[in-house]
Amino acid sequence: MSELSNPVNAIARKDVTDALRDRFILIVIGFIALAATTSLVTGAIALATDMATYNDAKATLLALGKTLDSIAAPEFYPLKLLRGAIEQIEIIGAVLGIIAGFRSALSERGRQTLALIMTRPLRQWQFLAGKLAAGAVLISTGLLAVFVLAALLLQLISGVGLGLGDLGRIAIVWAVASFYVMAFFTFTFIATLWIKRPANALLVSFAVWLLLVLVAPQIGDTLDPDNQVAGGVFKQLMVPKAEQDRIKAGYGTFETIRNGIEASSITKHFERFSFAVLGIKDNYTGMPLGPILVEKKGDFFWIFLTSLGLAFVMFVRPLKSDRLTKE
Amino acid sequence: MSDVNLSSPGIVSGQSLRIILRERTVALLAGLFVVLVLVSAYLGWSATTTVNAIYNDAVVYLQAAAQPVPPNPVNDISPLSLMRNMSIYVSLIGALAAIVIGYQLIATDRKSGILPLIGSRPIDRFAFALGKIVALAKANGGLMGVAAAIAVGSFLILPSASPDAMGWVRLMAFFALSFLYMMLFGLLAMAAAASSRSESVGLLVPVTIWLTVTFILPSLTANIHPTAAINPISALALPPDTVFFRWTGWLLGPLSVAESFKYLAAGLLDYLPATARVRSVVPPLPDLLLALTGAGWLAARGLARMDMTRGDYDV
Repeated sequence: MSELSNPVNAIARKDVTDALRDRFILIVIGFIALAATTSLVTGAIALATDMATYNDAKATLLALGKTLDSIAAPEFYPLKLLRGAIEQIEIIGAVLGIIAGFRSALSERGRQTLALIMTRPLRQWQFLAGKLAAGAVLISTGLLAVFVLAALLLQLISGVGLGLGDLGRIAIVWAVASFYVMAFFTFTFIATLWIKRPANALLVSFAVWLLLVLVAPQIGDTLDPDNQVAGGVFKQLMVPKAEQDRIKAGYGTFETIRNGIEASSITKHFERFSFAVLGIKDNYTGMPLGPILVEKKGDFFWIFLTSLGLAFVMFVRPLKSDRLTKE
Repeated sequence: MSDVNLSSPGIVSGQSLRIILRERTVALLAGLFVVLVLVSAYLGWSATTTVNAIYNDAVVYLQAAAQPVPPNPVNDISPLSLMRNMSIYVSLIGALAAIVIGYQLIATDRKSGILPLIGSRPIDRFAFALGKIVALAKANGGLMGVAAAIAVGSFLILPSASPDAMGWVRLMAFFALSFLYMMLFGLLAMAAAASSRSESVGLLVPVTIWLTVTFILPSLTANIHPTAAINPISALALPPDTVFFRWTGWLLGPLSVAESFKYLAAGLLDYLPATARVRSVVPPLPDLLLALTGAGWLAARGLARMDMTRGDYDV
């Protein structure tokens, strides 16, 4: 092992041991797993109800000697059941990143150990790299546990078994989810090291989380006129698809602004990417993975580069000597 | 020099309010809330005018195609429902702002080290707790007052969407309800900030409770996906008609206070779908009041038992 990498490993190992010992991060991961399981199970129960309703209607029609043209069979794609779990990772997974980043920085400032570490023959980048590595290990392993649990439940619930292709799609979404959550980790870590009072950094991070994870998607969702009338405005007006598209074209600027607000949110990029890869969005259901990855590479790069950019900011900005201890 | 009665809740609340008004994080969250209330008023107006414009376009097509023209959906929308997004912002940022205010009201005292000093004075612990709760009520009331002023101003600017006399009453009732909802989370935050040994735990416990009631319980009681919780209409969707959801709705409904709030808010702002119904064993209003009473008891208990001989948190 090289001489330079030892301090990085030592700090990373110490942080992981700390996190496992105080169990705080484990509790948060357990909370995400609980939320994801809840969404998965309730989604499956709702689907089972749709199936039962369809089977009843089918039996009735067949008994009356009619055809099944008038009723649509519910679609069953096991990966679609992951929708709620992905949404929980969008919201609560980001909170995991915030808490892990906050505790990673606070564990040094709060215990007055940061000033001590800086007196050792250790370069600043080594300290930061160790912290970042520990965060990446904790977050990716925690999310891996959540996705493995979700895949096992899916296998049990669906009863049809997941193929290698399905597992590959879940693995891709897990990797991207790790980058997504790491963006929140790094932001909060930087804020907690730089803001005068660490608790305020936690609140600032929550304000950013609120804006990116909830408010921007909410505004985008609300500005969609089709969401303003129960069942959708076009459906209520009984306008055919071609005419809908013509009318929508007249609101191009409005739609650009709406999409721009949504696209400013890293959460929306994660949602668009994962919903496409898992086939949750109808347009992508049953579509081969290759073309989806090509189409969604923009969303992937947005998430990856945000995470990478924040890590870059962390490394280039020196630690402040008056921010080494807790205020 | 006149005697200052330290046992007066007014002294405690006045001093606490002055301190938290200087806190930048409180200003940040409060400012964000006010901005989003403005955004909410704009969104309501924008969405409605867009639907109206789409209807006018559709009418041209339907008449040309000699098809029946359905009534304009905008005419079915009550003026009050222009403010429907406000119910979402209260449940998101309003609740979070209340948590920050409740937390800071206690944490600033603990961190500044003045608790042992206060504890050495002949102060009535009940008056101290009451003073803190009054400060929370004043801060949340101030925020709600600003939100109400923006809503009223929006309706005055848009006379075509102005509510009738009963509508104004309902609007004010909505703000009173929102105030109670914010108080619920502010009181929980006070209880956690007073009881916890760790500063971050004190803040994260109420945040976790808020996350659970906002995003997890609705999926258990009504199969509402987490992102549907941010849409005022989708959040009221009917659950699948199954034994599972009937039981979870009935049993867990009383804990799902975000659903109770959204149901009551939709009723007051006139966008409650005709199909919506209460599934919980406890109706929404008693449910919220019970939760508020419980949170008030927790806050009073936490403040009464707070150790005045030490102050600051562990890490």
